[in-house]
Amino acid sequence: MSVTSFPVNDLLRRKLQTTLTILGLTLCVASTVFLLLFGDRVGVGISLMVEGRMTAGFSSIFSPFIIFLAFLIFIVGVVIISFMVFVMMSQRMKDIGLMKAAGCPNNLVFGYFMTELLIVTFAGCFLGAIFGIAADIASISLFQSTGFQISQKPPNLWIALMVFVLFFILALASGTKPVLDAAKIEPAKAFSPTHHLGLAKEPGFRVVSKSGLTFRIAMRNLSRRASVTIRIVACLSIVFLLVTVAVAGGIIADQTTRSWVEKALGKDIVLIAHRDICSRYRLLQSKFYEAKESPQFNYTGERYLVPDEILRQLGRMPELSIDTRLFVETQIEEIPGFIFGQESGTTTYVGDHRKGFSLVVGVEPGKVFGQWFMEGEFLKEDDDFDAVIGDTEAQKMFAAPLYQNVSLFGKAYRITGVCLDPVNNGNVTYVPLKNLQQVSGVTRPNVVMVRVESSADRTHVLEQVSAIVTATNAEFGTFEVNEALNKDLGFLGYIWSAIMFLPLFSLAAASLCLIGYVMLTITEQRQEFGILRAVGAKPRTVVEIVSEQSFMVLLSSCAAGVVFGIIITLLILIPEPVITEYTVFEIAGWLAIALAATFTLSLYPALGFARKPVLDMMVQA
Amino acid sequence: MGKGKTVVSASFLRKTYQTRDIKVEVLKDVNLKIEKGEFTVICGASGSGKTTLLNIIGGIDKPTSGEIIVFGEELSLKDEDFLSDYRCNNVGFVFQAYNLVSTLTVAENVAFPMEWSRKAADKIRKRVEELMETVGLEHRADHFPFQLSGGEQQRVAFARALANDPPLLLVDEPTGNLDTKTSLKVIQILQKLKHDGKTVIVATHDERILALAEQKLLLEDGRLVSLE
Repeated sequence: MSVTSFPVNDLLRRKLQTTLTILGLTLCVASTVFLLLFGDRVGVGISLMVEGRMTAGFSSIFSPFIIFLAFLIFIVGVVIISFMVFVMMSQRMKDIGLMKAAGCPNNLVFGYFMTELLIVTFAGCFLGAIFGIAADIASISLFQSTGFQISQKPPNLWIALMVFVLFFILALASGTKPVLDAAKIEPAKAFSPTHHLGLAKEPGFRVVSKSGLTFRIAMRNLSRRASVTIRIVACLSIVFLLVTVAVAGGIIADQTTRSWVEKALGKDIVLIAHRDICSRYRLLQSKFYEAKESPQFNYTGERYLVPDEILRQLGRMPELSIDTRLFVETQIEEIPGFIFGQESGTTTYVGDHRKGFSLVVGVEPGKVFGQWFMEGEFLKEDDDFDAVIGDTEAQKMFAAPLYQNVSLFGKAYRITGVCLDPVNNGNVTYVPLKNLQQVSGVTRPNVVMVRVESSADRTHVLEQVSAIVTATNAEFGTFEVNEALNKDLGFLGYIWSAIMFLPLFSLAAASLCLIGYVMLTITEQRQEFGILRAVGAKPRTVVEIVSEQSFMVLLSSCAAGVVFGIIITLLILIPEPVITEYTVFEIAGWLAIALAATFTLSLYPALGFARKPVLDMMVQA
Repeated sequence: MGKGKTVVSASFLRKTYQTRDIKVEVLKDVNLKIEKGEFTVICGASGSGKTTLLNIIGGIDKPTSGEIIVFGEELSLKDEDFLSDYRCNNVGFVFQAYNLVSTLTVAENVAFPMEWSRKAADKIRKRVEELMETVGLEHRADHFPFQLSGGEQQRVAFARALANDPPLLLVDEPTGNLDTKTSLKVIQILQKLKHDGKTVIVATHDERILALAEQKLLLEDGRLVSLE
């Protein structure tokens, strides 16, 4: 028997196990290679895409999400690979013991099984890398054919090589341990049922317990293979953690960020301004989802200021709430501030004199429609020379904005808050209207926002408003802010759905892993299932036992994964999450679907096995 | 399940195993009749088809051709659910290799056929105690099968076979793996079953069991002949 012929023959003899392990490794490596390649186009691409477009505040939520998900996806790959190889080598424990008992030297035994391990891991990892690249190329064609725009660059083969090498090493390391363990133990122990099956625990004597017979057998089978059970539970827990962070986190983050955008822009608001300013406002909004350069614009030209007649006539309409604003694009300057450390008693100088252009918006604090998600406070009615700045502006130009002032038109304004605002992609400064009028010398607003009272007929009222505006000045018009809002929300929805799509592949790999576990369970219990059938158990009893084992494993993994996933999502990834009753049901629904799908798939081997003739079952594999 | 004086009836029973190149005829036109309460012994060399015949009578295996009627039912025409109920309630099978469930304790191994026939918990408990006493293993009730000797496992297998008080008992080589002292205990159990009027079919070479037989049959080259 040569060192190479035995391993090959042994692998061929266990066709099903070998195929399953190679398939599992292939799927796992392929999904990780695909995810990293696809992520290079879409996932990480989202991060880069967001970098240039989304406001700094929103980006700071997306980036940790993507990085955390990528990290989890990689960990899942590693854990699944370790599990499958461990299971494969654990099944050889008894054979190793038998060979040692027959006088086979330790080094030869080790050589045989390490060769098997090398063949299987190399085949699995190599095929995985190839299929991963193929899946990436196929996905590009698929997206192209459906008209979805995605980066067309060739796959980064270094990523595939890196995953191949890393997973190959990890798989070898995971598989070597059980072989080494088996090589160390005495032969008698290796094939003794106490050691081989782990039946060392003495249970209490209960002829008939409250739990059903199938449940008792299922629970004992789980506990007798404690090390494998712990590994599969750990493996699936990480998968469910990933799924929870992606699905629950995705849904919560989607709703939270949507709510921020909705509140900042206001719902059902109509903007009245000169048609050029209406177009300009549309452009300012689109910067949230499209990286666009915009030329300088003089908002304060006389023709852009809202005629008094329009303001007067709108003021006479009781169905309208009015928010008048003055938009000015001007240079602003950071003014350094001081932070006084109460405990240390020291004063720290913060900031510099950075300069940049900002969209300065004068608002009447008591009448403003927007309700921004912010750090600090928004302007109050009696505020004088106070300012609230947008999140991107705060990040790019200020060190500790709430301790600093901002200078515009040569006048210093105390910064009271930093808001998340999609307008001009967060490069915005809100100041009291009266102050802005005073320093800029522009006495009239150039934008009027109106909202129709809910009790009124909105369409009719807006027709009236439109008529008043065009009758007074034909160059003026109206713009439904909802149009911009919907585009912003659509963009957020697209990003979150792309993120939520990523863990699907890991879930598929985990399902295969669970199928592998169920097959291992069936192989080990094959003879016992045969005995149960011979003594009167129906085929469904076998399915019941296997499904109860599978369900217990899934449920405990799901519970651990979901709890940690929710904690991580709410405490670390999303500040001030928006959670409604609907959110809870939606998350529960998606997680239940993931759980049910994995569970159903895992039953496939049991359904096939239960149909076998009793005598076939009783023959030990 | 229909009732008649004849418990088991086999006509022209054939069983053939076909591998890629080889065809093995294990049973050739076996004809058999066993009456209610009869103690039947089937002898034959190793590999003569004794176990296959018991498996067919027990509803574990199906014949290639021929008819096998047990308690008035043609078993080869029945589906798996029917056969499961049949095995659970009508047949007690003592396997040569004992075939105990390793995850269940001795008491649980004896109890589980009764749990499937949905007997009340207190009745099961009482019956398990009674059977443990019959086979002399009360002190081993909470042990696992691998903690028992071969003879003890054989006795547990008897207790399990008797759990649902089946009208037909099939016993495959009950003393084949046991020493003389342990074999005697098993023979005592068989004597008790005969005394109780059970229909028992035993496949064995053991002369001591052959002595108990009311019908002695020999399986030779796949054909069944009477020894009387």
